[in-house]
Amino acid sequence: MKPIRIALTKGRLEKSTVELFEKIGYNCDAIKNKGRKLILPVGDNDFEVVLAKAADVITYVEHGVCELGVVGKDTILENGTSFYELLDLGFGKCRFALAVKKGTDFYGGYNTKTIATKYPNVTRAFFDDKNMDVRIIKIEGSVELAPLVGLADGIVDIVETGSTLKANGLEVIETVTDISARLIANTASLKLRKQEIEALQKKLEAVTQ
Amino acid sequence: MKKYTKITPEGTKDFLFAESSAMDDVCGKIEKVFKTRCFKKVITPAIEFYDVFALPCSGIEQEAMFKTVDNKGRLLVVRPDSTLPIARMVSSRLKNSLMPVRLYYKQAVYRNHPTLTGRTSENMQMGVELLGVKGIRADLEVITTAVCAISAVANDFRIELGHAEVFDALSDNLDIDADYKEKIRVSIEGKNYSALNNLLDKLTPCKAVSAIRSLPSLFGGEEVFEKARAVCEGTKAIEALEYLHKIYNNLVPLGLGDKLIVDLGLVQRNDYYTGIVFSGYISGIGDAVISGGRYDDLLGEFDLPASAAGFAIDTDAVTLKRLSDNSVSYSDNPDVLVYAHDGKEMDAIHTVTQLNEQGVKAQFSVLPTLEETKAFAAERGIAEVKEV
Repeated sequence: MKPIRIALTKGRLEKSTVELFEKIGYNCDAIKNKGRKLILPVGDNDFEVVLAKAADVITYVEHGVCELGVVGKDTILENGTSFYELLDLGFGKCRFALAVKKGTDFYGGYNTKTIATKYPNVTRAFFDDKNMDVRIIKIEGSVELAPLVGLADGIVDIVETGSTLKANGLEVIETVTDISARLIANTASLKLRKQEIEALQKKLEAVTQ
Repeated sequence: MKKYTKITPEGTKDFLFAESSAMDDVCGKIEKVFKTRCFKKVITPAIEFYDVFALPCSGIEQEAMFKTVDNKGRLLVVRPDSTLPIARMVSSRLKNSLMPVRLYYKQAVYRNHPTLTGRTSENMQMGVELLGVKGIRADLEVITTAVCAISAVANDFRIELGHAEVFDALSDNLDIDADYKEKIRVSIEGKNYSALNNLLDKLTPCKAVSAIRSLPSLFGGEEVFEKARAVCEGTKAIEALEYLHKIYNNLVPLGLGDKLIVDLGLVQRNDYYTGIVFSGYISGIGDAVISGGRYDDLLGEFDLPASAAGFAIDTDAVTLKRLSDNSVSYSDNPDVLVYAHDGKEMDAIHTVTQLNEQGVKAQFSVLPTLEETKAFAAERGIAEVKEV
């Protein structure tokens, strides 16, 4: 049978995941010295890893071409639809937050607020829960700029340390939700390859607790 | 203005040759199972009134439905599901007929998915509905029909069983509102342990809370029942659990082995299903290809209080799998191309009929000259050109 295939989010999460795999005893040299290869074996061909952009990890898992995936909760909230979210891996911690220009009263007044964000779905859901109509503008680059130049009243973005916000005179007024890396599984794969996936999940669970 | 005259809408496609022949093959095999088991075929219209699908329990989001209006301005939808139209039909046209009613269908359903996700908007489905009777016999009939149907078209499959009452009975014990219950249900459905724990940590600890906490992990073989009994002891869920175990034991003689699994975290569309629920998976397809269960309250929504159970198979997914496995043989070449000299056309057509009756695949050449016919045969790799 084909080895289990895991889609990994490239970059920071990739590093932490490799550390985690090594902690549970898998040789990850192939990932560390990957060159330009995109599909890489782990351990003694115990499973293979595919490196992809965060949103693509979800796509590969949803379609079942990768059995498992490691992806941030931020991406899941923005793009996710149907898969199993098996484990909070505990790294890649940050939060979605609503930030505004320091000292402004965001909720004051009767005008409809404008929010700039890279995450329109998360933003929409957050304000839907508050029964608040907002105008959402999708920004691709530095979202912090939008309130400064007067495009938006506030932003919804990922905040780690808050130093970028601070440097630009913005402050967090509300946490939308906490974020960390998650292990996700394709629905059908979990049923069809239960033993293998559960074994790996247990091992990972033991080192993340 | 840009005209879209050469492409099909996103999520739809043409089925050419091998694809449509493989699809016929899959549907034919499943149809044979349904017919042998005495289910009778029905066809419902492709468009229905929106109201049929807007019932609170329908579980179909309005964003997912293709809508249009009729000439009186009434809202119509292109059928996103076949069970609701059948429930509508049974509760009106078959309400006085002798129960149970055994129906099957083969028709496409249409869902409007977000763009560029690779999902299809038009999906062929086949399924059965057994209406008017409840109890273990009816449940076994529906599940075994599903097993027969999937066995007819796939080797490596899994059938998983659950029971809607397990979660419902447990959550009824809790002092929570419908929204909070739905959040819990969604996190169980997604086996999202961390979200589930967060939700449950906010509640007063009790037997039901700890039982719900373990629901997503309660899946696997028969051992699940023992574990589940331990966590559900003393709650109302135990009744549903015992019933599910009885169903499971009845299915053991089918010799499904590992292919039969139990998943107490199977809480999909729980507002719709009221009893047993089941799904089917085949390797190579990332989503469930069968989904079904008992829905005793649905016909009541159409003013016919009656029990029912059924399931649907996504035959497009099964076809896709068979095509990718190369488990379908397909050739559209005739053995003989029959060319008629001028004036002999009807004789040649008669020859073709005769050859076909003898089991030789013959085709009448509609090209005007012998040279063109020969060239066509050579190009296509047709072995013989017969002149009449």
